[in-house]
Amino acid sequence: MTSTNGFEPRIVAFLCNWCTYTGADLAGTSRLQYPPNIRIIRTMCSGAVDPVYVLKPILEGVDGVLIGGCHPGDCHYQSGNYKARRRYVALREILKASGFEEERVWLRWISASEGQRFAETVTEIVSAIKELGPNPMRDKWAV
Amino acid sequence: MNTFIPVENGDALDTVRRFLRKLMDDQVVDAVFCSLRTDGGKVYPSVVTDSSHLNQADPLTPVMTINGARAVSSLTRSGDQMRLAAVLRPCEIRGLLELVKLKQASLENTTIISVDCPGTYEAVEFYEFDERGKFGLSEFLQSASRLDGVGIEGLELREACQMCTQPVPEHTDIHLHLFGFDTSENIPVTASDKLKAALEFLGENEAKPEGISTDLQEMLAVRQENRQGKMAEIQAQIDSDGGFCDLFDTCIRCHNCMTVCPICYCKTCLFRTQAFDHPPEHYYGAARRKGALRMLPDTILFHLTRLNHMGLSCVSCGMCTSACPMDIPVGAIFTTIGSKVQAAFDYSPGLNIEEPIPLTTFKADEWTKIGES
Repeated sequence: MTSTNGFEPRIVAFLCNWCTYTGADLAGTSRLQYPPNIRIIRTMCSGAVDPVYVLKPILEGVDGVLIGGCHPGDCHYQSGNYKARRRYVALREILKASGFEEERVWLRWISASEGQRFAETVTEIVSAIKELGPNPMRDKWAV
Repeated sequence: MNTFIPVENGDALDTVRRFLRKLMDDQVVDAVFCSLRTDGGKVYPSVVTDSSHLNQADPLTPVMTINGARAVSSLTRSGDQMRLAAVLRPCEIRGLLELVKLKQASLENTTIISVDCPGTYEAVEFYEFDERGKFGLSEFLQSASRLDGVGIEGLELREACQMCTQPVPEHTDIHLHLFGFDTSENIPVTASDKLKAALEFLGENEAKPEGISTDLQEMLAVRQENRQGKMAEIQAQIDSDGGFCDLFDTCIRCHNCMTVCPICYCKTCLFRTQAFDHPPEHYYGAARRKGALRMLPDTILFHLTRLNHMGLSCVSCGMCTSACPMDIPVGAIFTTIGSKVQAAFDYSPGLNIEEPIPLTTFKADEWTKIGES
């Protein structure tokens, strides 16, 4: 694994139980390689990820947040991922308008059978965040 | 339908009081929500079930202590309530519409009455001024008729009112006109047709009474300029080194802004729970990571989360700014950021009851590239 100036991003991932978490599991059982920078939190649905859960780690200094859910149309609860998509759009707009780096927040649809896609997504995010550099909120204590 | 209420002895306030009393006495409504003038000379929003109390009604004095949408929510939430007439300012109506969409209020038995709003003053400043015996309602109303922008000489409107570009009420059942009419003679009324029978005692005029020459557009242009100016000021602070966090440098996390917000209705709000009361080692851990930790922590988290939860519905009533003990321009900040996210969803809060709040709905075929590559 390569690193830029020794910077290893820390990324928090909220993965839906039915698709992306299972996809991550498949990546593991398939022995696929992906960077170890990701800390996974299992949620019941991407639609259950309130913006507060994304904002808290970003303000504490985590370098990136990934929300993973089922592909559109495949939500176990019919429409949770569609609602997650709108919340994600609003969250990114608000982060951008408030002067925070909205590029640190990611949303990806990864199904239970897409272990390969999960591994590739994590690789892509880690390399993009390395490019972006550490989260300036890391040192900002007055939040 | 158009009609007008004749004003006796040049006393517009007494005319409005008689009009409200008539609606109750004729049993058009069972209760009226309206500001009452207390014996101490203060105005306070109240619900009236005995029409004699409407002798104290005062919806014209330019003080707004709460956003009345919250009160109407409390009064209409269950649905099968009394027939209520709610006298509301334009921003209160907008807040109410958002609460109806959130299923926290009902318009089913509610008659909305509104008056053109010249703007309101900070209650404390206004009462200080009034105690010195300086406030004259009739001069104030005349200034509003002429739209000369004077209001009360020597007092500044609340920041939100200076920036307000929607002073003419929308979505009313009874609209009492102030702008452009000499209200010492009569008060023009526009009412929805369902109230035709109830308002028969006023007679019907096809045309509005002739107004005096004014320019609403000119007043709105001034307000728009104020709004753009204030938003540019906030944006410049966001873009500066200190950024968004510095805007809330003096925040004491009292949650007043949330308490007075007409949209923040959630009883299960995370910030009202013990979720952020941590054991001591948690704070030391957080401090060690960054070298220091602001106590109380999670201040910025609170404001950013609130922006996410209610920013799309922010009706710019500015009660948050008025309630802030540290004089943080919370309302202007929320208007600046809220207007951007509202634009992203092409949504105008509080205007169209048919249009759902963006985060309560979705379309399958939108933002289809998000999440894919």
